[in-house]
Amino acid sequence: MAGLISRGFLGRRRPAEVESRLPPGQYLVTDWPVLSAGPTPHTPLDKWSFSMDGLVRKPVTWTWAEFTKLPTQTYTVDISCVTKWTKLDMTWLGVSIDTLLEAVQVDPSGKYVMAYSDGGYTTNVPLDELTKGQGFVAYQFGDKPLEPVHGGPARLVVPHLYFWKSAKWIRGLRFMDENEPGFWEQLGYHIHGDPWKEERYSGD
Amino acid sequence: MNMDDADMNTALMVDGNAVAGQLMDVFGRDMTMAVARCAGCAREAEMGALMAFTHSPGVVLRCPACQAAIARIVETPTAIYIEARGATFLRLPR
Amino acid sequence: MAQPVLEWQAGTVTAIRPETRQTKSFTLALPKWMAHRAGMHYDVRLTAPDGYQTERSYSVASAPERVGVVDLTVERIADGEVSPYLHDVIVTGDQIEVRGPIGGYFVWEVAMGGPLLLIGGGSGVVPLMAMLRHRAAQHATLPARILYSSRTSEDVIYREEFNALAAGDRGFEAFFTFTRQAPPGWTGYQRRIDPAMLGEVIKPFGRQARVYVCGPTLLVEAVASALVQTGLPIEQIRTERFGPTGV
Repeated sequence: MAGLISRGFLGRRRPAEVESRLPPGQYLVTDWPVLSAGPTPHTPLDKWSFSMDGLVRKPVTWTWAEFTKLPTQTYTVDISCVTKWTKLDMTWLGVSIDTLLEAVQVDPSGKYVMAYSDGGYTTNVPLDELTKGQGFVAYQFGDKPLEPVHGGPARLVVPHLYFWKSAKWIRGLRFMDENEPGFWEQLGYHIHGDPWKEERYSGD
Repeated sequence: MNMDDADMNTALMVDGNAVAGQLMDVFGRDMTMAVARCAGCAREAEMGALMAFTHSPGVVLRCPACQAAIARIVETPTAIYIEARGATFLRLPR
Repeated sequence: MAQPVLEWQAGTVTAIRPETRQTKSFTLALPKWMAHRAGMHYDVRLTAPDGYQTERSYSVASAPERVGVVDLTVERIADGEVSPYLHDVIVTGDQIEVRGPIGGYFVWEVAMGGPLLLIGGGSGVVPLMAMLRHRAAQHATLPARILYSSRTSEDVIYREEFNALAAGDRGFEAFFTFTRQAPPGWTGYQRRIDPAMLGEVIKPFGRQARVYVCGPTLLVEAVASALVQTGLPIEQIRTERFGPTGV
């Protein structure tokens, strides 16, 4: 996609001092860009629930009061969005997927997960990439409740994959036996999404 | 202006006018005057009047009446994807 | 219907005119100029030496009767990517890659008739000014009004031109409202556009008004829904949302 080179236009930067922490093709940001596929949902906390269903022995659902009593951890991670921004050292408080899995028995065939959210958004992740601390459901950013515009009351965070996999406004995980594509994976985005292998688009 | 977070997402929203160039990449012509009929609520609106969410891995065009997704566009280095199952039809003026 | 030029072309900057402390108008001579319709825009694309590209859309401020060039009025957004480059780096003689004109939904031409009510906030006034310049170039007499919301009087783009248009044309009136600070001695509107203000400005036009609303998304949303609630048929309202800049 050639273009006239714009005199004096330098584009975005990869500062030398953090170069090794930026995946290929990414640029550093210090603010937190808001990206969304639709209007902000506003589910009141007394109507909110989080479920684990699909290929499980018995589906389980937590209310907000129950969910926020689960053991939590603090995570400080770097986040990369497929739209090329990377933000370093983001600190979250949330419940690990490992903790949530203690409440269900997943069928042996349930190797993949579809995260689903208010507003209809979905994204798929292999189960073994959510366990062992790789994924959590966050409801605080820094020391404040997660703002709705950034996915609050709660969102999935899977820091080792592009941020579109970290579903905002999450309401549940559905266990499935095939790696079905979610909202963006159906439309050209990579089924896996590893920023260090630059897995942005299907076929990458 | 003091906007709360819910308004920030609305504030970032634009409309089909903002993606006229991208729609032209897909359809080869100005599509802002094309009329889309929402498969969800049957409302008809010109594409220039659809809500557009552009701060995203792709563009999502939504019905201004019921907010259902009418079309989605993704541009990759080698392809353009478009999905418009949310439209019963698109009507292009001659 | 004329097919717009679809290809990117290199426009040459022949003039740069400061309009306010935050906005400048860039005149681009286009090798493949074609007459737009007032309200349309061009996409501007910048390319860095490493191949990185970014694009933005800017409304055409000039009337289609101004042949061979387009004027793009651009507000400098402090943390933006393109507008600071245009304001701080571009000089006359530079080339800028553009594609257009695009956007046949948000257009007005004299043949569409009136009475014409234009409502704008901040840089949303740009495509509305193209409509007024076109109306003037055609010596049209159909009634037209603009309601223009700005933070302060220093932020009013095209201020002298609005005064000149109103002075020379009994069919045109301009209404200004200031949301942060009005000029000393100001007796006009001093608040965000609200249903009462809209009711007063639209009154002589009634349900015949053809209305165009352009500016920050929240302003456009509020104005459009207020107009619909007054009973104005929705087909007579056209909107263009610019996103999050605040007024």
